[in-house]
Amino acid sequence: MSEARRLENELWELPVGTVPGMRVPARVFADPELLAAIEQDRSLEQLANVATLPGIVDAALAMPDIHQGYGFPVGGVAATDAADGVISPGGVGYDINCGVRLLTLPIEFDELADRREALVHELSRRVPVGTGGKGAREGLRGAKLERVLSLGPRALLDDLGIGSAEELHFTESGGCLEGADPAAVSPRARERGAGQIGTLGSGNHFLELQRVSDVYDEEAANAFGLRRGQVTVLIHSGSRGLGHQVCTDFVKRMDARLGHYGFELPDRQLSCAPIDSPEGRDYLRAMAAAANFAWANRATLAHRVRESVGSVLGRDVADNTRQVYDVAHNVAKLEQHAGGTVCVHRKGATRAFPPGHPEIPPEYTQAGQPVFIPGSMGTASYVLAGRRGAMERSFGTTCHGAGRRMSRTAVRKAVDGGQLRRQLEADGIVVRALSARGLAEEAPEAYKDVDRVVEIVERAGLAARVVRLRPVGVVKG
Amino acid sequence: MSYRWVDHTAELELEIEASDEREVLEEAVRALAELLGVKGPGELHRPVAVTAADRPALLAAWIEELAFLAESEGFVATGIVELTLGDDHLHAAVAGMLDAPPPLVKAVTYHRLAFEASGEGYVARVVLDV
Repeated sequence: MSEARRLENELWELPVGTVPGMRVPARVFADPELLAAIEQDRSLEQLANVATLPGIVDAALAMPDIHQGYGFPVGGVAATDAADGVISPGGVGYDINCGVRLLTLPIEFDELADRREALVHELSRRVPVGTGGKGAREGLRGAKLERVLSLGPRALLDDLGIGSAEELHFTESGGCLEGADPAAVSPRARERGAGQIGTLGSGNHFLELQRVSDVYDEEAANAFGLRRGQVTVLIHSGSRGLGHQVCTDFVKRMDARLGHYGFELPDRQLSCAPIDSPEGRDYLRAMAAAANFAWANRATLAHRVRESVGSVLGRDVADNTRQVYDVAHNVAKLEQHAGGTVCVHRKGATRAFPPGHPEIPPEYTQAGQPVFIPGSMGTASYVLAGRRGAMERSFGTTCHGAGRRMSRTAVRKAVDGGQLRRQLEADGIVVRALSARGLAEEAPEAYKDVDRVVEIVERAGLAARVVRLRPVGVVKG
Repeated sequence: MSYRWVDHTAELELEIEASDEREVLEEAVRALAELLGVKGPGELHRPVAVTAADRPALLAAWIEELAFLAESEGFVATGIVELTLGDDHLHAAVAGMLDAPPPLVKAVTYHRLAFEASGEGYVARVVLDV
């Protein structure tokens, strides 16, 4: 995969023909150093494979945090023609609507003082973690689960008083994808997810206490309610077992119909069906339901954060803890681009609409859509704002994180979990993790340099830096 | 007859070599039990029935079913008691034990999925989302 040719300073292209069957080129946003890191795994080959999808338009795209995934690379973007293109569950990924929510506390880091450890401890006590993460207090079944699948966090607000109208307002798509149909979600998916609402999960999912360390754009920061020194909480989680099962069910179902539609694909995990087909329509209904479940999950996690804040810092601080925004980075949506309707698959990539876009809350219309880019614990995260270049070059999309560069096994061999915990604590980061092994797997060494990733998307005109966030406490599964 | 785990950036790949198709499925059981931290013969039995379009998809469905038994019931299969293998289906009784296995396997993918004759035996490959 060394055939990448430089189109612009931050844009490289694999031409049609790099792998058999490509319908469009594959393009990746990177600089030479990041490209060299990206070429260490098979992610560019996977990106070229994505370019073979029926109905794909313009190019298969990758953000600078691209890394090897299953079928689609993580950090990949594919837009397919809504009229005669396909939908691919693998292009959304297993963790449907995995995403990030940012909360701001009305206090400065200095005011937190010696209550910081107590707050992190309280967060870890109230938020169930781990792969299964059973035992959620708000575990939902039957009719209540149906309503969450249909309506997302709106159902939690109406039925249980969790969340607020303001939170829904400051959530991508209002926290509810249209067309969600609980009937399209299998009994096994419901069983796997029902007890997991309000749980964090494992792997790279986390809850992080942070402070705003740098402000790059005062005007946008003001619009988002962010100021230097402020305390924030970043929540990273998704649709848990429910989303994984929805993806599993539809990869299998579409794979069995590839012959019927005459599709030949280089990887079965790219299995797909025409958007306007029984399989395609059912998947979009089920995916929307899983996305709504994920937003409800993050809403419940945010509720628990508020409870923790109230318990440690007082009711007034909890009542004035507000949500900046909530963004998805694993989802497919029908959107208008270049005068036509396309289905934009974002797998490990974030929507980044520019100032003035009608889907941005009015309060943010001059700043652009907020985008949250978690780094690794021990480094930094960023708040960005969408820019016009994203609409022109990446179907309104930017990166979603630092991007993994080491396997879990490799990093476990290189990093001692106990030593890492002590190092993080010495750096002023309070750590609560389920296991030293899990902590080691998410060590900063396992990820690319988030500062560089963000610089690339800014130079490419996809998004602009607003503030930088430094971790001061982390809760991990 | 053997299996091995191969680690990648964001996945875990299982490679199997066996003399016949039943042994491929048995090796998959053993590999999953090892991954879930369970050793030794099991006394309890569970029925497993899956259908799929072809052999590789059948292997994926088999492992998915075993992983679901572990996640939902805490039942970890350690061996096959009975097996009927058709072109697009399998019916089996598996032996195993109740434990508290870590729910490590989030999904069984179709990425680079393989189950095919090779030389005098069979080779198989399946990538897990963990």
